[in-house]
Amino acid sequence: MQVALNALVSSSVILLVGAGFALIFTTTRFFHFAHGAIFALGAYSLFLLQVWCGQPTPIALVLAVVLAAGFGCAVELAVYRPLRTKGASPLVLLLASLGLYVVLQNALAMTFGDETKSVRSSVVTEGLDVLGGYVTPVQVATICTSAVLVAVLAVFLKCTKMGKAVRAVADDAELAKISGIASDRVILAVFAIGSALAGVAGVLVAMDVDMIPTMGMTPLMLGVVAVVIGGVDSIPGLALAAVLVGAAQQAGAWWLGSQWQDAIVFAVLLVFLLVRPRGFLGGRLRKASV
Amino acid sequence: MEYLLHILILICIYVILSASLNLLAGYAGLLSIAHAAFYGVGAYVVAVMALNWHTPWWVNVVCAVVLSGLLGALVGVPSLRIRDDYFVIATFAFQVIAFSVLNNWVSLTGGPMGLPGIPHPVILGWQVSTHLEFLLLVGFFCALTLWVCHRIVRSPFGRVLKAVREDEVFAQAAGKNVAAHKMLVFVIGAGMAAVAGAMYAHYISFIDPTSFTVMESIFILSIVIIGGAGSLWGPVLGTVVLVTLPELLRFVGLPSSVAANVRQMLYGGLLVAFMMWRPQGFLGQYSFEKGSGRE
Repeated sequence: MQVALNALVSSSVILLVGAGFALIFTTTRFFHFAHGAIFALGAYSLFLLQVWCGQPTPIALVLAVVLAAGFGCAVELAVYRPLRTKGASPLVLLLASLGLYVVLQNALAMTFGDETKSVRSSVVTEGLDVLGGYVTPVQVATICTSAVLVAVLAVFLKCTKMGKAVRAVADDAELAKISGIASDRVILAVFAIGSALAGVAGVLVAMDVDMIPTMGMTPLMLGVVAVVIGGVDSIPGLALAAVLVGAAQQAGAWWLGSQWQDAIVFAVLLVFLLVRPRGFLGGRLRKASV
Repeated sequence: MEYLLHILILICIYVILSASLNLLAGYAGLLSIAHAAFYGVGAYVVAVMALNWHTPWWVNVVCAVVLSGLLGALVGVPSLRIRDDYFVIATFAFQVIAFSVLNNWVSLTGGPMGLPGIPHPVILGWQVSTHLEFLLLVGFFCALTLWVCHRIVRSPFGRVLKAVREDEVFAQAAGKNVAAHKMLVFVIGAGMAAVAGAMYAHYISFIDPTSFTVMESIFILSIVIIGGAGSLWGPVLGTVVLVTLPELLRFVGLPSSVAANVRQMLYGGLLVAFMMWRPQGFLGQYSFEKGSGRE
């Protein structure tokens, strides 16, 4: 039961990071590696506001998420948009985001130091007893927030005018532009929403298990794994995949020891890439075209 | 003097790494962030064999190259089915798995403690131990690697690689066996990276998994891209710049606690800047877009 609860918690984080990543990926068609750094940035913003500036937790939480979203927008405006305007290929954007990730991670390390930072109170509280397993209140909050936010995101994409515009740009940026959609503005909004989701995930993880500057890479890659397995443009597929990845990670940790959990998840990814690169519920993957 | 020789040895090792990655990323267009994994496999095979079985030096190197080449073939398999950014993710997965194995197979690799006391190589009775002697040995392999790369890219094999990079379907239509070429270039590139790993293990005489992380892979890729992908001398220039720049920072009086972070920020920032203003690098022929390298 404890394994299942842990799996549920890590699935929630993966889902949040993956949803933001997938949103950005479907609209811009490139791998935004710096998403992992935004995740860490959210966590460190919380630390900055709460411990260094002494803000009360609720205000610090909201501000940290806003900071993460703002930073996502800044990255889009400063780096990605000029590159897109030049007609750079997805690989060029991917390499630029890889460089950005390295810069941001080290900027965090230099500002806050390489050692572990904590925003938790020193009092160890006993978790809530749920069907023979233990969860902390933060973990319950993680699960609920993740489920609610992703549901809201799905409704937003389905029902609002903005959501429709996002889907139009994702489908064909050129055509969307011709139909009078300001695609640059839509992409900026997508970066804001996606980065805010990463920020939320970062904040929640920071309150649950502390933070180090390199904390962004693993959740990002797990999110990417979930996006690949679930299919890039399907939120139900993503949710299913996040649960699967979380379960594989925790079950693997339980059977083989936690040091192997990364290896297990990436082995699952490789199998999927080779056998079913479109994921469970995704649309067609673009193949080589003549 | 010792310090200068040390820098030169490092440059030679990184030239081997970046020149071999250039064969994959620059010529064949197979962007891989698993190169540190092959580098690590080379280093660990040599270290484990030298420490446990005391086999002669050249036997270890040959075994390292063969094993790493086989792994290269394994990593090459996804390149037959998936392309571009998905392939990058697949190589990333291999890198993470390789690091996990090095870090967790404690009985063989010593885990996070690493393997200390790797003996100096003895070649035909010549004990390589001083910095100068190491420089001669590593320099020889570095020159050999560059010569082999030169031969490869000038050969018909190299021309097909470039064709695969520019337009895979066209290469296939022209009757070239695209799959075999991709696999072969992966085996060659991985084998060369293992040589660099072997040199590193003997030279430093202590290895641990932190030398072979994802960040190291990104560093090697940055060298290739900043120097210029798809050109023979690009990686050499990139190595000289990216290995010596952080050393210059040392003279500015930067405390060593932030030196590693500054070094990483430097190449990360350079990578972003080059992507924005000069995606083909200093000397490059290829800027990661289809058809960009056509003459």
